[in-house]
Amino acid sequence: MELNDQTMRSWIKEAKVGEGTYAVVYRGRHAVTGRPVAIKKIKIGQFKDGLDMSAIREVKYLRELQHPNVIELVDVFSAKTNLNLVLEFLDSDLEVVIKDRSHVFLPADIKSWMAMTLRGLEFCHRNWILHRDLKPNNLLIASDGQLKIADFGLARDFADPNPGFKMTWQVITRWYRPPELLFGCRHYSTAVDMWSVGTIFAELMLRVPYMAGDSDLDQIKTIFRALGTPTEEEWPGHTKLPNYVNIGQFPKSPLNLLFTAASSEALDLLAKCFIYEPRRRITAKEGLHHPYFFALPHPTHPSKLPKVAPTTKAKPLQVDDYEDDMQTEIKTTYREKRDKV
Amino acid sequence: MSVILSPLASLQQIANTPSREDGIPEDIEEDLRAYGCKLIQQAGILLKQNQVAMATAQVLFQRFWFVTSMKQFGIGDMGMGALYLASKLEECPIRMRDLINVYDVLLSRARHTLATSSVAAGASSSPTPFHYEPMSYFSQRFYDLKDALVVAEMQILKRLGFNVQVQLPYGTMINYIRVLGLADVEGVPQKAWGYLNDSLQTPVYAIYPFPTIAVACIFLTCRQLQIPLPEEPSHPWWSLFDAELEDITSICGYILRLYRPRSEAEKQLVMALVSKKELRKWLDMEQQAANRSRG
Repeated sequence: MELNDQTMRSWIKEAKVGEGTYAVVYRGRHAVTGRPVAIKKIKIGQFKDGLDMSAIREVKYLRELQHPNVIELVDVFSAKTNLNLVLEFLDSDLEVVIKDRSHVFLPADIKSWMAMTLRGLEFCHRNWILHRDLKPNNLLIASDGQLKIADFGLARDFADPNPGFKMTWQVITRWYRPPELLFGCRHYSTAVDMWSVGTIFAELMLRVPYMAGDSDLDQIKTIFRALGTPTEEEWPGHTKLPNYVNIGQFPKSPLNLLFTAASSEALDLLAKCFIYEPRRRITAKEGLHHPYFFALPHPTHPSKLPKVAPTTKAKPLQVDDYEDDMQTEIKTTYREKRDKV
Repeated sequence: MSVILSPLASLQQIANTPSREDGIPEDIEEDLRAYGCKLIQQAGILLKQNQVAMATAQVLFQRFWFVTSMKQFGIGDMGMGALYLASKLEECPIRMRDLINVYDVLLSRARHTLATSSVAAGASSSPTPFHYEPMSYFSQRFYDLKDALVVAEMQILKRLGFNVQVQLPYGTMINYIRVLGLADVEGVPQKAWGYLNDSLQTPVYAIYPFPTIAVACIFLTCRQLQIPLPEEPSHPWWSLFDAELEDITSICGYILRLYRPRSEAEKQLVMALVSKKELRKWLDMEQQAANRSRG
């Protein structure tokens, strides 16, 4: 009790910097050291459903994870009925950097961001945690250029995928969601995060989202249009998945037609992230050992990476803005959803 | 940083729990902890909840009483909060209304048992069978319980310093049993597993690291079944798992105390003290009685 009050007093809220579906984010600092932090105030009482699942997941997982490429949960305290997470303060995210047209990305820059993403992700996977919401705006950038994976509101631990728990397929922002989830697969593993990494990699090269569908069905179509419809050989059993729909046949087109400037190693890594069969898709650990990271050019040092000029800074810190509908989607049961589809 | 942040209780917390500081006797506290856990387990079974969530809830519940006195919060409310929070933590959330209804049934049944047994003691009328009157959808009783549940969930998080990680020893214990070559000995895995389940009703999960608890359950099982294991003072079998005999025997003591026969009066007292209101009333009465006998 005393501990909580003590903690509460040691953090000072300064300005509100963002608001999301279940939290308000403030910039703040430590009362004594002046260390800048982001304070995420979880709203409760509103829904009268006790504490939000996302908040609980975030506290549970971030308390465990400590890695240079994963956001640090500095402290937690509660005031009245609110829960406050004190997080490392990071002033921008990869989405803002990608959207800022004043910079040209060198292949070495992209390699550096990819390396940091994979390092952070490999650490999560090694600790049996799936992130389940990787996208550029959840990859925050520190002032020294370090990339940090943030927002563990959808994360969960996983075990052996074969007999294990059923998990919801209503995760990951649509454009970054792998086909097995779009088909309603309920037993999945680290491969889902690796698909997202692939789409982020592609987005870094293209500077626009690679596969942007406007509905779940359209997303499948967009993926197949980009990568070709999978055959039974490429992805055994996919036609038996709960939400499988036959979209039609799309031809395969080689990735180098679109990614003209990419090196052959880069294209190979990208192709391995987009392997349809989840079990054959590259893992984060294999990704880190991919020749792409050993070929020239060497990754740019984080401190020399393109940064967003302070004036164009759009949002200082990203609140979890997975869309409202995502939130409600997760709450509806699987059967209800399937009936709708 | 501070003792509260550590998932295991400090020596001081064990020696003098907040409840004991408030004058609650040690055996009453132990029985109340056990009863609270039984309620969690019963509610979990009625809700068809995973055993992992029920076990996690009981560990959180046990930890909670090392930072808070039972005079401040009732064991009924806190058990409900612990089960609700643990269900979220283990990714199998339950509906608030279901949980509240289930707890209401359990507590009403306990109240009924109390009422009929005291009647039976007074007059010789046959006890009426328990009949549950469900709450209406918008009843005040429901909203009161709901408020208590939200408060309980938050209090657990807050007072445990948000350390809600719980490691359960089941897998570890099975590995130990295999290492000791006892996996195929009839009765050993089952009995040891049962002791692990029962130990959830004791504070050991908040006092000892989970591998030591696993060792203690194997120890107790082997003593019960009279299976000899190497116990030479230079290298007893438990040293393989970094456990100390002192800790093992202490855990066994906690577990065995659960099976101590209780008198009817003791059983009824524990059932009556589920809410903090009743507990406070009882404490005051005890104090007055003590004062009177002194004066």
